[in-house]
Amino acid sequence: MTDPDPRPQSDYSEDGVDLTLIHWMLSLTPAERLQFLQGHVNGILAIQRLNAGE
Amino acid sequence: MPESNFLTALRMLDEAGVEFVVVGGLAAVLNGAPVNTFDLDIVPARDEPNVAKLLGVIHTLDGFYRMQPERRLKPDASHLSSPGHHNLITTCGPLDVLGTIGRGLGYQDLLPHTIEMEIGEGVRVRVLNLATIITLKEELGGEKDLAVLPILRRTLEQKQRVPFH
Repeated sequence: MTDPDPRPQSDYSEDGVDLTLIHWMLSLTPAERLQFLQGHVNGILAIQRLNAGE
Repeated sequence: MPESNFLTALRMLDEAGVEFVVVGGLAAVLNGAPVNTFDLDIVPARDEPNVAKLLGVIHTLDGFYRMQPERRLKPDASHLSSPGHHNLITTCGPLDVLGTIGRGLGYQDLLPHTIEMEIGEGVRVRVLNLATIITLKEELGGEKDLAVLPILRRTLEQKQRVPFH
């Protein structure tokens, strides 16, 4: 008996959610998810700072 | 502009022995939902010793209410003992201290619906589980809550299909 295929049947759910992104997030540990979020937030804040004078 | 540092804030709370549950967007991310958030939402225990520890951390993080930043109003023990919401800005970014969430649920009510997670550098925190986050957002029914619900529901489905972290 083989393990169930962890890949989603389709890339998107019926309500338009990107299931590949969910699978990628779920493949990370909670610590890795936090690191990713932190990097994302820091990137956005850096862009905001760069454009703060406009 | 203050920096954002979720891990440092959570480590300080953990090291100070503050009892709290991580809720909101960060809880959703830690549960594996691909959503974005800028603030750290926590529901702390509101007993006197815990509020004192929490106040100590907020003081160290130079936290004050972010609604009127020019006044730099700081919360005190009576504020944090209340069931209300305290939207603070700290040296680690926005920190929302929520006395209760949903229909008046406090720390003790949420505790059975949490998972303990290691979030890096040995820091362990209690995080609200995804099913409960979804239930609370369904109850709130605000536009922001409804917008994120499809992602949270699909994440829960995928988690249930295949064992992940």
